[in-house]
This record gives sequence, structure tokens and C-alpha cells, in this order.
Amino acid sequence: MRRLNPSLVVGGLIVAIIVLTALVSFIWTPYDATLVDPAVRLAKPSWSHWFGTDKFGRDVLSQIMVGSRTTLFVGLVAVGVAAVIGVPLGILAAMSRRWSSEVIMRANDLLLAFPALLLAIMFGAVFGASTLTAMVAIGIATVPSFARVIRSGALQVMRTEYVLAARAAGRQPLPIAVRHVLPNVTSLITVQASVSFAIAVLAEAALSFLGYGTPPPTPSWGRMLQESQEFLFSAPRLAVFPGLAIAIAVLGFNLLGDGLRDRFDPKLEDRR
Amino acid sequence: MVLRLIERTAVLLVSLAVSSVLVFAFMAVLPGDPARVALGVNASDEAVAELRRQFGLDRSLSTQYFDWLGGLLQGDFGTSYVSKAAIGPQIFDRFQVTLWLVVVAMVVALVIAAPAGTVMAARHRRLSGLALSALSQVGVAVPAFLAGILLIMLFAVKLGWLPANGWTPPAEDPGMFLRQLILPALSLGLVQGAVLTRYVRSAVLDVLREDYLRTARAKGLRPFPALWRHGLRNAAVPVVTVLGLQLATLLIGAVVVERVFVIPGLGSLLLDGVSNRDLLLVQDVVMVLVIAVLVVNFLVDLLYVALDPRLRVGSR
Amino acid sequence: MKSYPTRAVALAAAGLLALTACSAGSGSSSNSSPGADQALSIGLVAEPASLDFTTTDGAAIPQALLGNVYNGLVKQDETGKIVPDLAKSWTVSPDRKLYTFTLVDNAKFTNGAAFTSADAVFSIDRVKKNWTTSLKAAMDVVQTAKAVSPTELQVTLSKPSNDWLFRMTTRIGAMFSQTGVDKLATDPVGTGPYKFGTWKRGDSIVLQRNDDYWGTKPFFNQVTLKYFKDPTALNNALLTGTINVIGTVQAPEALSQFTSNDKYQVIEGTTNGEVLLSFNNSQPVFKDIRVRQAIRQAIDHKALLDTCFAGRGKLIGSMVPPTDPWYEDLTSVAPYDQAKAKAALQAAGATGKTLRLRLPTLPYATSCGQVVKSQLEQVGLKVTIDQLEFPAAWLTTVLKNADYDMSIIAHVEPRDLGAVFNAKYYTRYDDPTLQGLLAAADAGDEATQVSEMKKAARRISEQAAADWLFLLPNLVVADKNLTGLPQNAITESFDLSRLARS
Repeated sequence: MRRLNPSLVVGGLIVAIIVLTALVSFIWTPYDATLVDPAVRLAKPSWSHWFGTDKFGRDVLSQIMVGSRTTLFVGLVAVGVAAVIGVPLGILAAMSRRWSSEVIMRANDLLLAFPALLLAIMFGAVFGASTLTAMVAIGIATVPSFARVIRSGALQVMRTEYVLAARAAGRQPLPIAVRHVLPNVTSLITVQASVSFAIAVLAEAALSFLGYGTPPPTPSWGRMLQESQEFLFSAPRLAVFPGLAIAIAVLGFNLLGDGLRDRFDPKLEDRR
Repeated sequence: MVLRLIERTAVLLVSLAVSSVLVFAFMAVLPGDPARVALGVNASDEAVAELRRQFGLDRSLSTQYFDWLGGLLQGDFGTSYVSKAAIGPQIFDRFQVTLWLVVVAMVVALVIAAPAGTVMAARHRRLSGLALSALSQVGVAVPAFLAGILLIMLFAVKLGWLPANGWTPPAEDPGMFLRQLILPALSLGLVQGAVLTRYVRSAVLDVLREDYLRTARAKGLRPFPALWRHGLRNAAVPVVTVLGLQLATLLIGAVVVERVFVIPGLGSLLLDGVSNRDLLLVQDVVMVLVIAVLVVNFLVDLLYVALDPRLRVGSR
Repeated sequence: MKSYPTRAVALAAAGLLALTACSAGSGSSSNSSPGADQALSIGLVAEPASLDFTTTDGAAIPQALLGNVYNGLVKQDETGKIVPDLAKSWTVSPDRKLYTFTLVDNAKFTNGAAFTSADAVFSIDRVKKNWTTSLKAAMDVVQTAKAVSPTELQVTLSKPSNDWLFRMTTRIGAMFSQTGVDKLATDPVGTGPYKFGTWKRGDSIVLQRNDDYWGTKPFFNQVTLKYFKDPTALNNALLTGTINVIGTVQAPEALSQFTSNDKYQVIEGTTNGEVLLSFNNSQPVFKDIRVRQAIRQAIDHKALLDTCFAGRGKLIGSMVPPTDPWYEDLTSVAPYDQAKAKAALQAAGATGKTLRLRLPTLPYATSCGQVVKSQLEQVGLKVTIDQLEFPAAWLTTVLKNADYDMSIIAHVEPRDLGAVFNAKYYTRYDDPTLQGLLAAADAGDEATQVSEMKKAARRISEQAAADWLFLLPNLVVADKNLTGLPQNAITESFDLSRLARS
């Protein structure tokens, strides 16, 4: 019985399109996304510029395509950081003695008090606003949710017969963690990664809007949205394209996450 | 139960202490001399050194930390390096503003999410449920500031029904206060509502599958009253937990909405402080935010226990 | 033991949600209501960090307070001429070192004290003794200030200086009360047509009409200066009536919604704000004049202005705005010529060199930076952009440490040619010829001043000490029925006293 649900299909499709766009942008974009051409500035969508041009005369479609790279990059690094720190943390918390497990989870909760935006603003102020600082900050802020989810999952795995048997046989915790726990929580990791990706995209957009995200001239959907504000009256289309791009990307990752969750285990609780 | 309360309180206090160290340490690392920024571009080195002495920046880090902590515990937030004004009243004023915004946004979110999520769960296999689900997905995907910009374009600029930005305290002009609160609270609340809806749906779905509900139905209760009487209490538990978790996100997420709607809240105070290297101000604001979140989570924890009797009995 | 602030905040939050006590946030303005009390609300962008411009730099403070709360001995009129303010008249000795001012006798400070020459002496001495901003250097040429009688003031300079009287029209000439300087950062005391009312940080400053003002009383009895960080919010505020004037339009692209609307008037004049593409002249790559000139000629200034400031603003060829007496149009000194630029770079061996363009996080700088990068890359240079947070990071890195190759910033102080182009400032421009011209201009008579300053302006242009991208326009949008708004912004203050509603 196949468990292909609509969320998985639609989400997967959207994510695939975005990844494809990003890959294609390395080889080809209609125009150089950073080429300033004052002669054609603020052009309406036409055959030569499908999405029109911005105030510098740069092709919007090219910018959206290259911007997808930034979006994916941010998501990847943020989720990567969160997973690399959060997964071991969660497994450790599940496998340790009650007291140390408690300490780890409390520290985890403490981190929750520092939301992504706050960390990113502060990192940006210290290290200079850049994509990297934004990604690391968002990543760190996402650690708690990973840790929590992985911990519950790991706890469940610990109760399975395999693990109980392994522990009874006196196996060391580290091999147990690697050989039994980790493979069984990968589905959880995938789901959480997908969902966190969506959050990272939103966070990057908000940061760019505030001025703490990707600096120019590297195209970024969030910054395009911020730059479009000036033109809300005269050229609202400049807000539509990046806005849609962000919304669709977030939608895609969320749907993918939901679909994966339903597929792996429909009874799996939502424990963000 | 009492043991748990003591334990939780202890955890709260330790968390507060650790956060204060983290926040202080972070601010100490920030490059950019606050004295130089306060004095401006071409101030002489002696003037800068003198100001550093005045601010107490030339003392050891641990002295500065304990001084700051001591001040906080007595309610003294210090004086801003840049504006020379007391920080406490500023934070107090701004906190109220952000609080109004966040609380009303939460209410809006709940008002949307509770019925919508329940309906979605009850009809989750039917078309209406799926449609609502799709709608909520879109709602989640829209950033709050985009929602704000669009709302301003429509309701303020095009239709002129509501003011585009600004803030009036409720005491001064309740009518204007309400009118200025609507759009920003909606921007935050709609998006938050979409997020919450999915949690409600998930929680209600779980409840629907539970045995006790089937028992209730078997006993003759109609679906909705059954859901209401037995399900809601249990569904409320994870939702309440999420609300608490979301508070942190909302408090700082409000900063973008504050920027778009020009609301003098805590978020914009923070951004100003960072931009002006008003170190002490930033330290205090971050600490206040962290305290607020930790305290709320603490209260949510207690509420969790109160709601779910299973947690009260015996060990964890 | 719970900590007080936590409890206080929690309680307050709970309590104040139900009750309402103190006023937080802004007060909205009331628009024209018939009768004696008229209020005005002006939207501005950079909020002052404090109200004390004697220790804090920045244009925002004098913009709000100079001329409105504080008077000087002299001020500038609409055409830039120096006219009487607190000094009814003055004479200059033949050796041009002694200035004798006759002061008005009916001016009072808002703390009740009368304005006398003793206050003038106090204020002048205070600049030298207590001010910490760099602008205080303009008062160094004063040897002594003497109060001959309560209405007669004598100021002796150590050498003749044309510049000094002009500087007295700026913030260093503000007259303070001997008994009114203890709380300058939060409670300014002056003799001006308005007195300081309240300041809600992050929101607005409210000024009240000074009913004891010694001069012509202004029309509006209350003026609110509201500060916006977001240009769109600023525009929206005017559209929805929250403010009556946009004092400085930051998003010129959006002007079209006002020019096509006959409820509003749009004023476009000039300012003192030269947007500079500054070169770090101490960097080896800039030592060669061919490289500097090539960069100037590689930029299509008209296209740049169109792209990054909607074509509003004036193209200039040096550091002098049209409102200064020695202005000449020097835009032809380095005309746009890509081919020439490419050739010059090749001759200098600079093709392919990388330049760091370090920009402050200001919208016009970000915009213009991208155009500059693109244009310079077309002639064979490589440009890397990085953004430094403004003010903190940019001030430290670029201004103080001169750790940059090029940057973009608007210099808005009046007559700042000498202040910007010297060896100590971040431009690191060391030119004895220029110093000689500036000294001669200051020491000579009026005619000499004009001719020498013209030469100085031409010198820095021909030497390509920097590139001048454009002059910021004075863009003001206001309700149609408002009168008295200045066409050009030539002083440091936003003059409220001439405003009225018809």
C-alpha cells in the first residue's frame, strides 16, 4: 500500500523545482543578475524580461533564480548547524542518566529564549551582517526543536527490543547510539529538517527586511522584498515576485515535511 | 506536586542566572566602542577615555557584570550611554506597547485557530477540511511583514479605513489606539493563527482517535458535545505548550511589524540600541525579553501540570 | 527571592492591560482647527541621539533645536546672507580682528533669565572649554570675548577670519543661558521662538510656542517632530494625515504619488549634502592621479542619479553647493568617458586591481554603491562591496581607522570643503596647495575669499581627491495649505518659525 499523500507530492514537487532552479542558475540565467542597466530600469514584464526589471535595470527573473541559491544555502547551513548540534544532543539526552538528561534539556530550553531573529541581529552587529552570520544564528536558534524531537524519538527507540537486548548484553552506549538509535531517528530528522528549512527561509526574509541579512549585490528574496517597498505605489509587481517566491518556498518545505511525517508514521505526534 | 513546583522554580532561577551571564558575555564581545559612538565622529581620544571612565567601562568584566546584575535586581536598569536618559522607564514604556501587540495578536490567532483547527480535524478527510488545510499552509508561508505591507496597501492607503502607522496609548485616545492596533495585530495574528491552526488540528485529531471519545460517542453523545466536553481539555494541553513556545518568537517577531507600522515597541528599541552601540540598553532589553520568555514558559509548565492530571501523580 | 524588575514588569503588564496609566508612545497630531491654537506635525528620518549637540555629533539635533529653541547672534536668511538674530547689528574693525556686536535687550531664556552679553561670553567660552565635538575647532580663532555692557559684546580674533562669522550662524553660535546648561541632553534652554516640550524616545519631540519670545511669534503653537525609520511608513503617514509635512523625502521613487495629488505640494531645492564617493588617498592605488581621474570618468553620473535617487538632485563637480557664494559648475572637469577611463587605467597599470567599497547601511549608499560597482567593473576594475553598520561600525572602521579604499556618504555640514579634504580626516588628502588656498580665503577680504575658494574647489576637482556623485536635493512634501517652507536647505536647522497655514 503506497503512502503517497498530496502533501508529499506537492511539497516534493515544489522543493524539486526550487532546487532545479538553483542548479540551473549556476549554468544559465536570462541575464547577469547583478548587471546594472539604467536604460531599462523599472520595465514591466515583457518577452525580453519575463518578470520585468528593478530600479537598477536588473532582470527580476534572473534575480529570483540566483536568489533561490541564497535561500537554499541559508536553509541548508541553518538546518545543518541545527542538526549537527541538535541530533547528538537529543540522543545524548535520551541515553544519559536522569540528572544529566535533565540538565541538557534545561539548557536546551534556555536556548529557546533566544529566538532566531534576536540572535541574528546580535551576531550581525558583532560580526557584520552577512549570509553566514544569519545562517549560523538561525541554525543555533533551531537547535532546541531538533534536540527535543530527536530526544523523544530516541527515547522510543531505546524501549525497543533490539536496544534493550543490546544493553542487557552490555554493549557500550556509543555503538548503540550509532547502530540502533541513529538509523531509527533519521525519519524524524528528515521531517524536522524540512520544517526547519521553511522557518529558516522565513527568518532570512525577515532579517533581510530589517537589513541584517544578505548584503547587496548578492540577490536575496528577502532583500528584494525590502527594496520593493519604495515602489509599492508605482510598481507593486516588484513586491509580488519575491513575495510569491518566499511564500511558495516555505509552503513547499512545510508540505514536504508534513507529507514525510504522514508517510513515515501517521501516528507520529507533532512535538515542535 | 509541591516538589515539582519547587523544582520548576529552582530551574527558572538558574536559567535566569545563566542567561544573564550569557547576555553580558555576548555584549562584552561586541566590537565598536560605545563611548566613541556616543561622542561622535571626531571626538578626541581623551574625551573618549574620560567617557569610558564615566560609564565604568574601564573596570574588570566581572565587576561590571556584578554591578549590572545588582542593579537589575534592585530594579535599576542604568542610564543610556547615548541618550543619557534612564533606561528603566524606556523599557517599561516600550514593553507595554509590545505586550499589547503580542497579546492581541495571540488572541486573534486563537480566535482563528480554535474553530478552524477543530473543523479541519473533524472533517480532515473531506474536501472542506483539505481546503482549509491548504489555506492554513499558505497562511504559514507568508511572512508577517509582507502581510503587514499588503494590509496597509489595502486598508490604509487604498481604502483609507484605518491609519497606516503610528501608536497612541490607550489612555490618551482609546478610539485611535484601537484603530491603530487593528492592522499590526492582524498581521501578526493571521500568520500566527495559521501556525496555531495546524497544532490545534493535530491535537484534536489525536484526541479524536482516543478511546475515551469513542466511549463517549458509544454512550450516546453527539460528536460535537463529545469533542467539546472530553476532547478539548486534552487538546488544550499541547496547544497551550505551543503558545508559550511561540511567545518568544512573537516577542521578537513583532520587531518587523513594529518597523512596518512604526510602533515604538521593545523590538525597535533593541534595533536602535544595537545600531547606536547603546550597550547597556541592548543588554537590558535582551535580558527583559529573555526573562519574559522564561517566566511565561514557567507559567505554561505549571498550567500543563494543572491541565493534565496524569502528570501530577507519582514520578515523572 | 524574585527579582524586582521581573515582578514589576509582570505586574505592570497585567495591571496596565486592564487599567491605563502613564502615557507611553506618541501623541497623534491634530490637524487644522480654526482658532488660536494651531498644531503641526513634521515627519523626519534621523532621530537625535540626545538633545545636547555640544557633546554629541550628528545633524539631527541642530535640525530640531537650532533656530527653534536656540538663537545665535547671527543667522542665515533664505539667500544665505548673514543677517542679525540676537545681535541687532555689528561692526568689524579695519584689521578685521575685532567684532563689536550690539545685542537686543528684550530676549529672555525659557528659564526666566534675561539674555545679556554675559551669556554670549559664557557660550563662546564654553565652546572652547566644554564642547567635545570636532566642530568646536571653529571657535579656536577667538582670542577673547568681552561683555562691555549688557547689550554690547566684543569678540577679538587672533587673526582675521571670514569663516568665523559664518560659523556663528551654525550650532557653535547657539546662545546658552549661564544658568541653563545642567541638563542639556534632556532639557534644553534657549531664547528661541519655541521651547522644548517633551521627548518620547523612538517616536517624537514636541515643541511648544514660546509666548515670551522677543521676536515675531510663530504661527503654530505646537510642533511635533515625528521620527520614522522606514521611508514608506513616512510616506504613508502623510497620506493618512498623521503628519502634515515630510521634512526629508527618503524614498524619492515614491514621490509620484504626491506630485499627481493636488492635496499636496512638492518642493525640490538644494541642500548642503554632497554625496561623496570618497577615496582613501593614502592607499597606494590612489597615489596615481590617473587612477583617481579614471574612476571619476568611468561613472555616468546622470544614469547613477536616475537609478539610485529617481533623478532628483543636482550633479556637482566639487564640494560646493549652488547656494555658496563661490559656486561654479565644475561638472565638466571629469566628464563621463568610459574609453578614456579604460585607457588611463591601463596606462597606470591599474587594470584588474581590486578596490574595497565599504558602504554604510544607508539606503542611498547601498543603492549608489551597486551602480558604482557595475560601472567601475565595465572599465576593468574589480570592486568588492561590504556593508558596515551605520553609525557604529562605519564610524569606527572608515572614519576613524580609514580602513577602506572607497566609501559613499553624504557630507551635510555647510562649507565643509576644508573639513573633509585634509590629511587628518578619513579622506587622508594631503595637499599643501589646497591648504594654502584655504588659508588665503579665510584671511582675505570678501572678494579674495570668493576667488580663493573657487580655486580651492577647482583644485580638489582637478586633483580628483574624491568623486562627487550628486548633491542631495531638498525634497519636502507637505499639505497644500502650508506656507513658509524653504526652497533650499542651506542651514543646519529646520526653521519652524516661518511656517504657517493659509
